[in-house]
Amino acid sequence: MAADRLSFLSQMVEVLTSTISFEERLKNMVHLLGRYLKVDLSLYFGLDKGKELLTLQLTSKGVLSPHQRLEFACGQGVVGEVAKSRQEKVVHRHHAGVMPANALLEKLHPAFHTLAAFPVADDNFLYGVLLLVDGKDRSYSQAERQIIRSATLMLAGALRQAMVQEEAKKRIAELAVLFEVGKALSSTVELDELLERIVTTTAKVITARGAGLQIVDRQTGETRVSSRYGYIPAPFKCPPILGVLPTGGTLADIPYLQGEEVAADGSLHYHLAVPLTFKSSLQGALCVFDKITASGGYEPFDHENRQLLFTMAGLIANTLENAITYQQVEDLAEKNQRMVRNLTALQEISQALLTTVQEDRLLEILLQGLTQEQGLGFDRALVFMVDEAGQTLRGRKGAERLAQGGPAPLATALFLPLARELDLADWEIPLRNDQGPLASAVLNRRAVHLREPQVLGGELPEKVRLTAGELFAAPLVVKDQVTGVIVVDNQTSARPLEEEPLHALQMLTTQAALLLENSHLYATIEANSRELGLIRERMLESDRLAALSSLASGMAHEIRNPLVSIGGFARRIQKLVEPESPLKGYVEVIQEEVSRLEKLLREILDFTGENLSYFGNHDLDQLIEDTLLLVQRDLDAQNIKVVKQLAQLPLLHCDDRQLKQVFYNLFQNARQAMLNGGTLTIRTYPVEKEDGLYAAAAVSDTGGGIPMDVLHNIFNPFFSTKDYGTGLGLSIAQRIVSRHYGEITVNNELGKGVTFVVTLPIAKYCLVKEAGQGSAPASAIQI
Amino acid sequence: MKKILVADDEMSIRLLYSEELKEEGYEVYTAANGREALEIMATVPVDLVILDIKMPEMDGIETLRQIKERRPDLPVLLSTAYGEYRQDFATWASDEYLVKSSDLDDLRNAVKRYLKD
Ligand SMILES: [Mg+2]
Repeated sequence: MAADRLSFLSQMVEVLTSTISFEERLKNMVHLLGRYLKVDLSLYFGLDKGKELLTLQLTSKGVLSPHQRLEFACGQGVVGEVAKSRQEKVVHRHHAGVMPANALLEKLHPAFHTLAAFPVADDNFLYGVLLLVDGKDRSYSQAERQIIRSATLMLAGALRQAMVQEEAKKRIAELAVLFEVGKALSSTVELDELLERIVTTTAKVITARGAGLQIVDRQTGETRVSSRYGYIPAPFKCPPILGVLPTGGTLADIPYLQGEEVAADGSLHYHLAVPLTFKSSLQGALCVFDKITASGGYEPFDHENRQLLFTMAGLIANTLENAITYQQVEDLAEKNQRMVRNLTALQEISQALLTTVQEDRLLEILLQGLTQEQGLGFDRALVFMVDEAGQTLRGRKGAERLAQGGPAPLATALFLPLARELDLADWEIPLRNDQGPLASAVLNRRAVHLREPQVLGGELPEKVRLTAGELFAAPLVVKDQVTGVIVVDNQTSARPLEEEPLHALQMLTTQAALLLENSHLYATIEANSRELGLIRERMLESDRLAALSSLASGMAHEIRNPLVSIGGFARRIQKLVEPESPLKGYVEVIQEEVSRLEKLLREILDFTGENLSYFGNHDLDQLIEDTLLLVQRDLDAQNIKVVKQLAQLPLLHCDDRQLKQVFYNLFQNARQAMLNGGTLTIRTYPVEKEDGLYAAAAVSDTGGGIPMDVLHNIFNPFFSTKDYGTGLGLSIAQRIVSRHYGEITVNNELGKGVTFVVTLPIAKYCLVKEAGQGSAPASAIQI
Repeated sequence: MKKILVADDEMSIRLLYSEELKEEGYEVYTAANGREALEIMATVPVDLVILDIKMPEMDGIETLRQIKERRPDLPVLLSTAYGEYRQDFATWASDEYLVKSSDLDDLRNAVKRYLKD
């Protein structure tokens, strides 16, 4: 007996220390025990992690069939009782309370009689219960019980060893996972990449079909970042990935959201989500979908998964928060950099613009600056200018960037000819509010940012495909006057218009507007000075001719008098000579030769008086009547009444065509001053002056008078106001009158009208002692 | 018979003009300068004056001025070898400005125009 006992124990130890698998060892040990004690059946029930259920795990009869599955709750049946009390117990079928509590066991042994249950435990942990089942009535001796206790201790040892091993394996696996997650998290600071790694790693370590992540701003509810990987069922796809999630919680009490949903095809899907908690105002969730089983099916996530996911969420939250902050900083830095780049470009463009006063060159530099990659980088830029009358917006110049930007630095590129110029010359947009966004940008003096296609107004040139999509129009404003508009877009590359370059553009328009206006003024001044140059040249020319002619006319006097005598007497002789006389022929020769010489003299010398050859004696009243006929239609059209008070005056020695021009100008000015009708009064009268008799013609309007600040300028050749015609008109009139030794005076009555008085000397009755230019002022202004 | 005064410093011109005008039926007086012309006018009631401009002692312009001062309505024809005196405002007071020519038709016609009655 003792030898048997010894042999059993040594066999048990052998099994216990063998290298076969834990399950095999356990199975062998239960089998050995059953055989040694000669019981019908020996069973081992293992306690689950929740410590509530005891599940049949091994029998001495070998492999368990599925229908042999047995479970006892803690406290239920002899197995449950022993687990609860940790005290061995032997019962018989006929004992009170044994049946039906243990009836389940009949599945394995229909006629069981004796049940002996022993706790499998060590000092601090219960692993399960060993149950010995016998068909006959049987008792267990102390020695047998001692053997069984030893065997259960060995079983407990084996189980503890297995548990520790399993725990260690699990810990190692978990560490490996966390290491992998950590590696993924630390491998990049690029947010997008990080998010992608988080979801793929999460799915991988949890062996889930899909994983998702979403972070929102708690205050605004706006999604900051989100990322998905693999399979994500429909309800989680479109915002938000996750519904309302529990927040806070400790490791012992993991907050999570778990559930399952039936897909359209009837298949069952599972999800598990844990919160991502941040120090800042962000909140989010990490979610996995469908845990993949070894056989490739899906199953719900378990406690382990929840714990792991939660641990990962903690790790991730920190790293993500850093990455988001870093990206914010980086975004700011990038924005800063872009701003600096734009400002630099702006400065270079500004400087380049200052190098020229020619409008065309200014526009080219401006367009280069707007379209160059290193400039403000727009795909296209167009400039429109408001016309003189302020009625129409006219296409001026446009440029398009070539696909590949030039390698030249901006400072150089600005001065290159435009790579592709757009012809806008025929594009005219009437300046009315119903004429599209460009017209309204001008009329409202406000930039227009067009995001939707809209009719731009006017007839679009065929080559300019400016029909759809986003564009920006910035008005050119100088001293509260809109002179044009700059339009930019990125329609070629279909990029959106960014904020910074648009901001830079608006800064640039202020300067560009001013410079364009200056160039305009400069062009006017240049034209004027060119004209002055021409006039001066002509004057020099006539000076030279005058010098030449004074020399020539001296000779003419010497030659002409004898020629007149010779020719004159030759004619007289001819009248006296008989028709048949041979002298007749000779005299004819003299006459013809003299005529030839006289003709020559006239051709060479008489041009000096030529511009006065139109001078004749004319009636001033008639001259005024003739001129009135020319403007009568205009006056009638404007409802202007004409009042004439004409005095009969002696004939004037004058160039009538020139004087008509004087009166024509005065009538036109008066008409323009009376756009809303009025009265034009023309009066002629004699003026007796110290040096003789003058004829005066007064032309009065009822147009309200000339403003004081412009009055002194009206005879300035290059001055003009809308109300008083072209300045050139009055300055020419003044010159003509001056050539007639007359004068023009202005009588201005503010609020009433203006009277221009032309006074001309009647030469026959004038004794101008020192006749000549400049003897009297040709014009005077009376206020 | 209408009386015409011809003032010219060139003797040949005086001779030519007076021959022609006498032939037209006028009574002709001649003077070699402006001063002489004014002296003649002081005694003879002339109907028309033909004045040369360039003359010694008193030129035609001053003579014209003095004549028009006394008798603004007396026709005065300027007959000169110079075209450019047209620009001189003082010559505008004359009734006709004629550039001398061996063809005397212009002169004759002008005289006829002013002395038609
Ligand atoms: Mg002479």
